[in-house]
Amino acid sequence: MVSKEVEKLLLKVQKPGRYVGGELNEVIKDKRKVAVRFAFCFPDTYEVGMSHLGMKILYSQFNKVEDIWCERVFAPWVDMEEEMRKHNIPLYALESGDPLSDFDFIGFTLQYELSFSNMLNMLRLGNVPITTKKRGEELKNIVVAGGPCACNPEPVADFVDLFFIGEGEEVDLEVIDLFRKCKAEGKSKSEFLRMCADIEGVYVPSLYEVDYNPDGTIKSFMPKDGAPAVIHKRLMTDMDSSYYPDNFIVPLVEIVHDRAVQEIFRGCIRGCRFCQAGFIYRPVREKSPDTINAQCRALCENTGYDEVSLSSLSSSDYSRIVELLEKLLEWTGDEKVSISLPSLRVDGFTDEIMNKIKTVRKSGLTFAPEAGSQRMRDVINKNVQHDELMQTCATAFAGGWTTVKLYFMIGLPTETMDDVADIAHLGQDVVNTYYNTPNRSKGKSVRVTVSASSFVPKPFTPFQWEPQDTIPVLHEKQKHIIDSITSKKIQFNYHDADTSFLEAVFARGDRKLCRVMELACDRGFHFDGWNDCFRLEKWLELFEECGIDPAFYANRRRDFDEILPWDHIDYGVTKRFLQKECQKAYNNQTTPHCRLECSGCGAAKYGKGVCFEKRQDMV
Amino acid sequence: MKNVRIWFKKDFECRYISHLDLNRTMLRALHKSKIPIWHTEGFNPHPFATFPLPLSLGFRGVNECMDVRLEDEDYSFEEIKDKLNDCLPRGIRVFNVTEAIMKAGKVAFASFTIKLSLPNKPSGLVCRQLEELLSQSTIEVEKKSKKGIKTVDIKQGIKEYSVKEQFDFAELDIVLAAGSSDNVNPNLLISALESRTGEEYETDVTRNDLYTENSEPFR
Ligand code: SF4
Repeated sequence: MVSKEVEKLLLKVQKPGRYVGGELNEVIKDKRKVAVRFAFCFPDTYEVGMSHLGMKILYSQFNKVEDIWCERVFAPWVDMEEEMRKHNIPLYALESGDPLSDFDFIGFTLQYELSFSNMLNMLRLGNVPITTKKRGEELKNIVVAGGPCACNPEPVADFVDLFFIGEGEEVDLEVIDLFRKCKAEGKSKSEFLRMCADIEGVYVPSLYEVDYNPDGTIKSFMPKDGAPAVIHKRLMTDMDSSYYPDNFIVPLVEIVHDRAVQEIFRGCIRGCRFCQAGFIYRPVREKSPDTINAQCRALCENTGYDEVSLSSLSSSDYSRIVELLEKLLEWTGDEKVSISLPSLRVDGFTDEIMNKIKTVRKSGLTFAPEAGSQRMRDVINKNVQHDELMQTCATAFAGGWTTVKLYFMIGLPTETMDDVADIAHLGQDVVNTYYNTPNRSKGKSVRVTVSASSFVPKPFTPFQWEPQDTIPVLHEKQKHIIDSITSKKIQFNYHDADTSFLEAVFARGDRKLCRVMELACDRGFHFDGWNDCFRLEKWLELFEECGIDPAFYANRRRDFDEILPWDHIDYGVTKRFLQKECQKAYNNQTTPHCRLECSGCGAAKYGKGVCFEKRQDMV
Repeated sequence: MKNVRIWFKKDFECRYISHLDLNRTMLRALHKSKIPIWHTEGFNPHPFATFPLPLSLGFRGVNECMDVRLEDEDYSFEEIKDKLNDCLPRGIRVFNVTEAIMKAGKVAFASFTIKLSLPNKPSGLVCRQLEELLSQSTIEVEKKSKKGIKTVDIKQGIKEYSVKEQFDFAELDIVLAAGSSDNVNPNLLISALESRTGEEYETDVTRNDLYTENSEPFR
């Protein structure tokens, strides 16, 4: 629903279709008849936010409850923001067109650190005070947040009233139930928040006091008012009975992932040591092929999408992948629906799987060896062998593929310049493999794209204590790869090191960074995840002004016994296990994945998932 | 196989989507509706639909059309209409389905209603400005194309028009060339007006009907 005032702006901005709502399957309710209004905010553009699965799940789940109306809010692109400011139009929700300040709950999903500035900017555009303190005691405009960045909420602790730790499906509704009750009883916001803190999976940052040592590290982290000392994550134990939407909003304009998305499992068995998702979503919990098949079919029927993507952290690790693909192929052909299988591992690309996807669609091949040398891959526990990768590429080339994309990281712990050069060499080996594959596509040339991003140490990984390489070192490594590439068949891309640096600061930041965030908001920072807007120098000025050294967060090695800003949060994986993994990394030792052997990470305490599968009949 | 013309309105939120987005939205709706229409062949088959005359982003369309090829010749037109409407966003409404009587290439003219206003200025003034512009013997305007910017005279492409003064806007009803070689987009006319008067107008453009070379309604 767009107001007359907004309509006047729409023809002046790029892609106005993202500011109007009105899509198929959008949920419209009568606002006078609902008890709870929830603004689900995605701190990025419409195209990015609408592609996000978590938002689709919660939108649909909330709206299934009769007296909750959940609406969507996205960050307006800079041209629209400028017009809105000029004409005094507050940020509004797409469904009702009502300003953000009208909502009971304002919920953000924090998918990447560089969207923090957008979160604050959106609050400000919506005329909602950005800090918890200034929002007052009335039981409305409760700002909540979840998503992977909530695992270290400290850099935004002053702005968010409560965080959802872990998976949101159940805990969101419990908080809303409590809200209804508190509202009926005329409770204040602080009373409500205090009660929320007793719900498992809820973290209320204002109920904790942090003390610092003279060197800036944390001295103590104390709960106030009887709040729990440790906040445990929530997770869904039975994926088959977990809520999953049978319907998605079908956007009018093209979005990043414009297709049906079907979740097949949560978590990852692998435990790559740099990967946060590999630890915080443990243990692996699968949906059954029958559930997936039925949910896929319903989604395609209700949306009209002709493509469905099977989503997980590593699709080929789904234990019954062949059975699943067979089931899907029974109907997808007739219905003219194609299946895509992203996040394939190098060792998961078998003939059997390949033939099944090939019958539907041939898209580009993407693998992530992550490191060039075998030693480095052992350090990060990416259990992929050089021969395996070559074998897989040969299979693909024989199957008609001619382009391969390879993803790597530079700046990994213990990395030497030789390891870095091996990234280029690996690319070359893939090129050579192409020419050594006898039944490759005739008359075609091979293209290998090598992409290198910079390693960002993240909380809840074995590398959470590691320093990030400084920007000059990262630049040197990028250059070293370029110098080591000799073939024209290899195209090299790399990520901007400046961005990775800021990401590293916020990923492991503490509450002292809130001041920087607040100042960033005052200065109108936004879209830091976009090259159009991001300028590291502007951030460095802010740090300077606040007397904060960003290198303290990004480039410092932490002691194992330092209190980390996120130590009060429990994702199931123990700190002791992470330390052990870190030690093993230093010794170039790998750890087998969950299906081969349990390494006792701690996540078995949830009593479900891969930890309780029988291991002997596993492949 | 039967060529079928689907008539629809494009308004509200859908006014703000481009032709490309409309195309995708229609294909998805056709796919979801399971109406037996012909699909492209090959690796990734999709429903086949063409549009006799694309509509610019921002315009309302009250008599738009899209052509498809129906595989089941006995399939009822009424059912096509109902099924498609169930599968489309509310800003696109199918109101009629007919046989495609004329070839798409027959479209030569289109009629528009253009509402123009200037904030805080009387609509009579805008009417006079319009009359003045349209009574010129040539109306030159810069047109951006792939080859660069060139100046064109759009006067020849204006078939007939009338200007009416409404309470808070000037209403221009106009028939413009809309053929494949000769065509005038109302936005060109608006920019001609803006460069002449140096004002920035609030505009609201609706495309009404399509006509052939000899002014017959396109069917
Ligand atoms: S407890 Fe064992 S099986 Fe379970 S997630 Fe941890 S390592 Fe894997």
